[in-house]
Amino acid sequence: MGSFIAHAQMAGNKLNADSSRFIELREVKIDAKQKSIHQSLQSFFKANNASTLEEIMNRLPEISFVRRGPYGMDPTIRSLNGGQINTLVDGMRIYGACTDKMDPATIYIEPMNLENIQVQTGNSGFLSGSSIGGTINLKVAEPDYRQAKQISGSLSSGYQSAANGWFKSLLLNYASGKWAFRASGTYRRNDDYRIGGGEHINFSQFEKVNYSFSAKYRYNQYTFLKADFLGDDGWNIGYPALPMDVGYAAARIGSISIESENRNKTLYKWSAKLYANRIKHFMDDTHRPDVPVHMDMPGISKTIGAYADGEWKLNHNQSLLLRADLASTYLKATMTMYQPGQLPMYMLTWPDHRKYQSGVSASWVNNFDSLWRLQLNGRMDIINYRLISADAKEEISILGYPDASRNDLLKNFSAQISRKLNETLKASFSIGYAERVPTGSELYGFYLFNSQDNFDYIGNPQLLNETSFQAEGSLVFHKAANRFQLTAYYKNIQNYITGLFDPSLTSMTIGAEGVKSYINIPGAILKGVELSAVVNQVKYWQLVSTLRYTYGRSNENVPLPLIPPLKNVSSVRFQPGRFSAQMEYEAASSQYRINTDAGEDVTEGYFLLHARLGYVMDIFKCTTSIQFGMENIFDKLYHEHQDWGNIPRPGRNIYVQLKISF
Amino acid sequence: MKKSIIFLSFISLSLFYVSCTKDDAQEPDPTAGLTKLTEGYAVGAATKVEIYLENATLTSGYNKFYLALYDSVSGKRIDQSNISLTPMMDMGTMKHSAPYENPASRNSVGHLYPCSVVFIMSSMGGNWTVKFKIDNLENNKIGDLTIPVTVTEPTLSRMKSFTGLHDGNKYFVALIEPSSPKIGINTMEMAIYKRATMMSFPADSSLSITLTPEMPTMGHGSPNNINPTHTRLGHYSGKVNFTMTGFWRLNLDYKSGAAIADSTQYFDIEF
Repeated sequence: MGSFIAHAQMAGNKLNADSSRFIELREVKIDAKQKSIHQSLQSFFKANNASTLEEIMNRLPEISFVRRGPYGMDPTIRSLNGGQINTLVDGMRIYGACTDKMDPATIYIEPMNLENIQVQTGNSGFLSGSSIGGTINLKVAEPDYRQAKQISGSLSSGYQSAANGWFKSLLLNYASGKWAFRASGTYRRNDDYRIGGGEHINFSQFEKVNYSFSAKYRYNQYTFLKADFLGDDGWNIGYPALPMDVGYAAARIGSISIESENRNKTLYKWSAKLYANRIKHFMDDTHRPDVPVHMDMPGISKTIGAYADGEWKLNHNQSLLLRADLASTYLKATMTMYQPGQLPMYMLTWPDHRKYQSGVSASWVNNFDSLWRLQLNGRMDIINYRLISADAKEEISILGYPDASRNDLLKNFSAQISRKLNETLKASFSIGYAERVPTGSELYGFYLFNSQDNFDYIGNPQLLNETSFQAEGSLVFHKAANRFQLTAYYKNIQNYITGLFDPSLTSMTIGAEGVKSYINIPGAILKGVELSAVVNQVKYWQLVSTLRYTYGRSNENVPLPLIPPLKNVSSVRFQPGRFSAQMEYEAASSQYRINTDAGEDVTEGYFLLHARLGYVMDIFKCTTSIQFGMENIFDKLYHEHQDWGNIPRPGRNIYVQLKISF
Repeated sequence: MKKSIIFLSFISLSLFYVSCTKDDAQEPDPTAGLTKLTEGYAVGAATKVEIYLENATLTSGYNKFYLALYDSVSGKRIDQSNISLTPMMDMGTMKHSAPYENPASRNSVGHLYPCSVVFIMSSMGGNWTVKFKIDNLENNKIGDLTIPVTVTEPTLSRMKSFTGLHDGNKYFVALIEPSSPKIGINTMEMAIYKRATMMSFPADSSLSITLTPEMPTMGHGSPNNINPTHTRLGHYSGKVNFTMTGFWRLNLDYKSGAAIADSTQYFDIEF
């Protein structure tokens, strides 16, 4: 698992507030303008080559995951998830093709291909799409001009014992004159994993291959053109908390873009991108025993979109960011059930529909003096949902909605003020208002089974938008390479979307308790604190620690579901040179604030200890790094509160990895 | 000059086009989409009768007929006549009739006379005939034509009967719609007849119906169905919703006022 927890603001050139964090995962390319921040972080952010993106993200205090299996965990920002947050890849919108949320966009990015993870919470989180929860943007690595050699790359392989899992990956970079190319491939295969105590979890295996190609052309000193393609194919992916697995899932993600950066100009940075992606997803239950009726559940998601943004330096103190984007997404999912001697039973689980989204956003920063700084953010979105086939309309009309299309105008704005209290301490405070539209499932979902609460869910095209009044304050201490940050936030959500049992409907899934319809409840409150520390006080020693607590309740004082308990992750690393050693613990308290309507029960707290060793050597001019570690040393049997079905997480795991860079 | 030539040719072209379409415009065939069952002469009425069906074959249940009448001498269409039907089942030892609907008007509808017969059993039990009595109002002659028909039993029955618990009478229920079921909201139409005598099956309008669709092998139903209520001539109309394709059972409970008439009947549909 990741040994690289971190947070930092980008250097002053970015218009990011304290509510933005970056995690840098690769050997950092040192640009003069980014030197200060990246150098101080570089030493800690060396990736464990075998980690998945989820493992890395899970170390960030704001992010946790809803887990339905070891693969395809669904990211949450401060417990908000799904349609409440944006999950973008290089600024591109990608919608999962699975009605059961098996395929969040995070599964398509291998850590090797990741430049950084940008997490924007609440008050600046809506700049790339109306959202009450924020944005996770996965910035993908680019072809590299700065390599001394024309051809460079790396070869990695690793094994982990808990799932008898292997991965192999290859990265190639070619740079010549104005052109640079990058290609990568990763193959992963895991068996059913072993939990604390020795049992194995059935249907937790997966196999996948991920491949990417990009080409970059230097038009002039400041401007680059880029074309990217990313493919991801998974087979036989188990979801132990769900009644079905994935037979095959395929993603094709492509884009062309232009970007320019010239510090001497007023419009000092701009970019534009055109993109398209297609996700195909086939759920499968043929490997499950005792299936009452065999079914196929394919789904497809197609998105095309474009965006352009620019950053202006208005004068010495003020800067402005403008962004415009649009996207059109097609979603369709069907289910066909087979009973011997009968015609197949076919239905649309996502009646085919299209979501058109177009928006503009602006962010204005004024550094009044060396102490005070003000940032104003705003965004407007026009979002249209349309059922696009006669079959889809017919089916939704059963639920009593003859016209299920909708048009929404969404408004988001926020203000943040920060002040330097002294040389080392800075305080920020922001308030804001944000909105989000319901998702396709919430609007049009047709008897979608939720195995956590054992109900079928039907959509409601007349849902109101969820809105949120939110406030966030933070205190940052920064001295030399040490950094502490304390953040507290508060969200007052109106028209909170949840499912309500409708006794007049009969469930479609055999064994389900009934049917829930999506409704708006008047409100919900979400608040919490996050604490993080990076300490580099003693030579060769580093300490990184994060702590978070989230509290959520409905307007009727019922705890919200999927709220993680108090959790602390701390790592200490000793790295005198080529050798490094690291100890790490994860501690979570029990969660007693549970929502039984959502199928939750009390989750026990846990304490895990991990140990990691690394050694770097040069063999035939190649840098070779070996990593070895043991996770969950005590072989603790545990699960996190947001894990569906209380499926235990892996027990003691021994991993070894080899990476040869050339 | 050049412009006016272009203009003139445009005008003449459009005239040509208009005249062409006018010439081509023919009356559409009124029997398009129908299946011709047979034809014959109504002796005495000097009328040739062509009999068409909505479906390819006759099955037990509600069957729609369309009659096209021609003067047997001139071959001219006859659009004015009174027509009455008499279906008859000859079982050897006994005979009985069946419910039917005569054409609603003396005027043809698009040169056709729509009418229907509710065959309450298949030809397995005997021989069905249908007599068409034609009162030709254009030549004021009366005659009739009797044709033998073969009625088959469909895979899934669309004709049910029950003995009313409240009055002991025999009721016949024919399912008319959905004839081509689909996922979504479907019109549910059925016709109910009471057996007064073996020769008389008047339409019934006295019952109230509760419709409960279900997929028997899945154990679930569908939401927001509308119970069929009486519209006219024994026809009851409502809505049935299918959430998916497959095998559906439409459970029907019949009441007369507060009294239960029957609660055992259903129609099965598979698509």
